[in-house]
Amino acid sequence: MDVLAELAKSDIKMRYGRGRVRAVKWLLDPIAALGVYLALIVFVLDRGETATGLSLLCAIIPFQLVMMTVINALQAVGLRSSIIVNMAFPRTLIPLSSVLTESVALTASLTLLPIMMAIYGVAPTAALLWLPVAIAVTIAFAAALAYPAALAGIWWPELMPFGVSLVRAMFFLAPGLVALDQITGTARELLPVNPLTGLFESFRDAVLFGHAPAAWKLLVPLAVGALVLAVSLPVYRREQSEFAKLVG
Amino acid sequence: MTTALEPERTVSVPGEVRLEGVGVRFDFDHLGRVLTPALARLRRIRATAWGLRDLDLQIEPGAGVAVIGPTGSGKTTLLRVLGGVICPDAGTADVRGRVGSLLATDAGLQAPLTGRENAELLGVLAGLSKADAGARIEAMQAGARLGAAFDRPVHTYSEGMRARLGFAVIQVISPSVLLLDEVFEALDHEFRAIVEDYVHELRRRGGVVVAAGHDHVALERICPGALLLDRGHVRAAGSFAEVLETYRGAGSVAPEA
Repeated sequence: MDVLAELAKSDIKMRYGRGRVRAVKWLLDPIAALGVYLALIVFVLDRGETATGLSLLCAIIPFQLVMMTVINALQAVGLRSSIIVNMAFPRTLIPLSSVLTESVALTASLTLLPIMMAIYGVAPTAALLWLPVAIAVTIAFAAALAYPAALAGIWWPELMPFGVSLVRAMFFLAPGLVALDQITGTARELLPVNPLTGLFESFRDAVLFGHAPAAWKLLVPLAVGALVLAVSLPVYRREQSEFAKLVG
Repeated sequence: MTTALEPERTVSVPGEVRLEGVGVRFDFDHLGRVLTPALARLRRIRATAWGLRDLDLQIEPGAGVAVIGPTGSGKTTLLRVLGGVICPDAGTADVRGRVGSLLATDAGLQAPLTGRENAELLGVLAGLSKADAGARIEAMQAGARLGAAFDRPVHTYSEGMRARLGFAVIQVISPSVLLLDEVFEALDHEFRAIVEDYVHELRRRGGVVVAAGHDHVALERICPGALLLDRGHVRAAGSFAEVLETYRGAGSVAPEA
């Protein structure tokens, strides 16, 4: 645990700096994303729904964690190359430190939720107790993605922008801009396959709609995460002993 | 006199090194990129080079061994195997005791972090608990002799300052096996003397020192024994003077192609 905590602590300082500016950086990302998507929905697509901003935030918060974890993990091994070529340490913890770092950043963006609830006059209900569960599932899913992302970052560093675009595309292939019940037809049937759909909808259920999320919304991301981890973790464990050859 | 860089009073486990038939292979694709076993399934291996090949080595407690040879002969690869940084592709490596290593010019430091933050990070990664690392920060600060620079980002450090900080961390983690790769080249005379004192004390207490580099005068002062590497093979082993003589007389010793 000490190693994991120390890796994450140093990662936070290297990526986000120190002091009060750090918290501002953590808040700026979700606020900027919220502003852009809000403008897109309300003014360009004219798809305003009940508490549009809060609904968007319920998608942006889990997406930011997943997205930032993938970006972090893509660079995680390379960023620590000086340590990797100098000493042995449990390198299996590197991707986990990525998700831990970004989970701390998530805590900052969570402070936006009560603000948006107040703006839209959405009163908290007992369903809010499901929010920690939804957050935990999001963190577990992000952790699962961190392992293949860390490998991809060291195997194909030149393709990092593509990896980021791939994750960003997942946002638009999920009900990120509008809630699932606003979508009809085949898309409505297919979107639940995307694990982000369950995450976004779980946040909305707990915060906006005031009821417990359906089981599939939590189980699909968990199942996909477990599958990704089952495939990528053994490969990562084998490959980590070769990292020094790649970055040295 | 006790200096901040002296080994702790006891080396917890005497250091010992045993390598048998060790080989380290580097596979490359058509663009000269290193291939790992997983990548080799996706890209064709176009070239293979052995960083080390069929290397047997035994270092007893209290020994000091210098690794010499031309650039590309496998010195750094050998030290990385001993440090557990690289796993051998062939043979077995058995290194007993806690390892302290300075195997890179940046001493394993993270440039954006301060000296203090790096010291804590490296201490924990080397096996100290967070509480232990925190408690020994002052010792690391005293050992590094960096003054106010200890709290400045490492990217402002010179190579010598980085080596000092890296060495101060090593002193605190109290290794049984000390690995140094071209460290003396970066150090000033004052700190060289400190490192030399530390190495002699460590060996006297049963620790093992393996040092590589091109500063043969400095290496001879800390290592009575030596190993000459040539294209990943041991070409000569014995006393430092004998091995150095072999190296100087060996016109055909050349870097790995």
